[in-house]
This record gives sequence, structure tokens and C-alpha cells, in this order.
Amino acid sequence: MTEWGWVAFAYGVAYGSFFLYAGSIALRINRARQSIERSE
Amino acid sequence: MKVQTRIRWWPWAAVALSLVVAFTLSMISPRDDVQGELVRIMYIHVPAAWLAYVAFFMTFVGSLTYLLTKNLRWDRIAAASAEIGVFFTGLTLVLGMIWGKSTWGVWWTWDARLTLTAIMFFVYLGYLALRRTTDDPVARASRASVLGVLGAVQIPIVHFSVVWWRTLHQPPSIVRPDSPAIQEPLMLITLIVGVVAFTIIYISLMIKRIELTHLEDQLTEIEHSTDQPVAGEAVVVPELGARP
Repeated sequence: MTEWGWVAFAYGVAYGSFFLYAGSIALRINRARQSIERSE
Repeated sequence: MKVQTRIRWWPWAAVALSLVVAFTLSMISPRDDVQGELVRIMYIHVPAAWLAYVAFFMTFVGSLTYLLTKNLRWDRIAAASAEIGVFFTGLTLVLGMIWGKSTWGVWWTWDARLTLTAIMFFVYLGYLALRRTTDDPVARASRASVLGVLGAVQIPIVHFSVVWWRTLHQPPSIVRPDSPAIQEPLMLITLIVGVVAFTIIYISLMIKRIELTHLEDQLTEIEHSTDQPVAGEAVVVPELGARP
């Protein structure tokens, strides 16, 4: 793999992980809100 | 029960903006004479490692303050920070493996820094697992806080492992006994901007993660309240004397 290929791989992993983790928090917040609202 | 937290969108905007700024600067920064373009991996690997330290230090602060005050708010901060710290440590390890493979030729070696970072990762995974052993918030906070305080001993050991022992991993880039290892100004600025951007991301994730912990605690409280059915809606008390 070329040097730029390794850089692209590393940034893809890092930024992809950020979006996945932030997305999982947002999803869990929404799910918790819905569960609380259902139990009202 | 009323949902007590309001929706905040600005932490997500801060995360997106920080990522864009850090990425742009990382790409326009000059190539290194020795490592070539691969030096750009440093601008995400080092900030991720630094934020792992910050996150676990906040877990230590939250845990210690909980043990002293018994205020569950501090336990929430410790728990939120530990999860984010595990995320950043995992990211550090993966990015380090990619950088290692492209420069050293191997994905992994049992170097002191790498091994100690992996141990730290698993210790804090254990912290998160320990929190799931009970729904009782006080018992959970008390058990986790002890590990949260003891686990922080690893932070200086991991950081100074490259100074204390002869390792394949390079010495610290910025925080080191003598002057910073990076002499090129734009490279140093890029690295510092990367650390600031990741710090903003950490704060933003903390705000949302604490909000989630707060909601989860409310949900647990509802599930354990006395006016809820014990065995679900499907189970009803049988009528005495009724024929099947």
C-alpha cells in the first residue's frame, strides 16, 4: 500500500469510529427518551 | 415521569466542526523527511492517546469525589468519562497498529508502551463490565469508584513507559522532560490543534454521554418503582373461586 493509502486507511478508521460512536450515543438517548415517554 | 433533560444539538455541531478543522490542517501540514506522508497519522494517534489519559483522569476525579461526597452526579461523570476513555484507547491502539505496520512492518509488538496501553484498555473495559453487575445505583457507584481510583495509577506508567524503559515506540511528542520532539512549527501547530479539536470532541461527547446516563437512571427508577407490575402486563392475579 502507498503512504497515502495508509493515511487514508487510518483517517477512515478514526473518523468512521467517531461517527459510529456518536451515532450510538444519539441512538441510545432517543431509545431511553422513548422508553420514559411510553411509561408516563 | 417527565423527561427532565432537553435536546442539545450543539455538541454534535462542535464534534463535526472540530473534525473538519483537524482534518484540513492535517492534510496541509508538510511531509516529514523521515516518515514521509505517514507522519499525518500522528495528528490523530497522539490526540487520541492524550484524550484517553484525560478521560481516565476525569474518571479518577469523579470516582474519588463520589467516594468523598456520595453524590451520584460524580459517579455519572466517572462512568461517562470511562466509556469515552475506552473508545479513545481502542482508537489509539488501532491507529498505532496501522502506523506500526506502515513504518515498522509489524501490526503489533510486545513493547512496553503498547502492552501497558492494552492492559489499561482491558482494565477500563472491566470497569464498564463491573458497572453492569447491579442495577442498584449506590452499590454500583461504590464498587466502580474503587476501581476508578485505583485504575488511574496506570496513566503516568503508560505515559512515561517510553522514558523509563528502552522501547521500540518513540518517546513522548510534546510532554517530555526536555524540549518537544517536533521542531517544524506547522507540524507542532497541527498537532496542538489536533489535541484541542479532540478535547472539544471529548467535552461534547461527555455532555451527551452524561445526558444518556441521566436518562438511563430515570428509566431504572421507573422500572423499579412500586406502582409497576412485578411480572409484566401479561400476568394477572387469578380470580379466586373461578373455574378454568
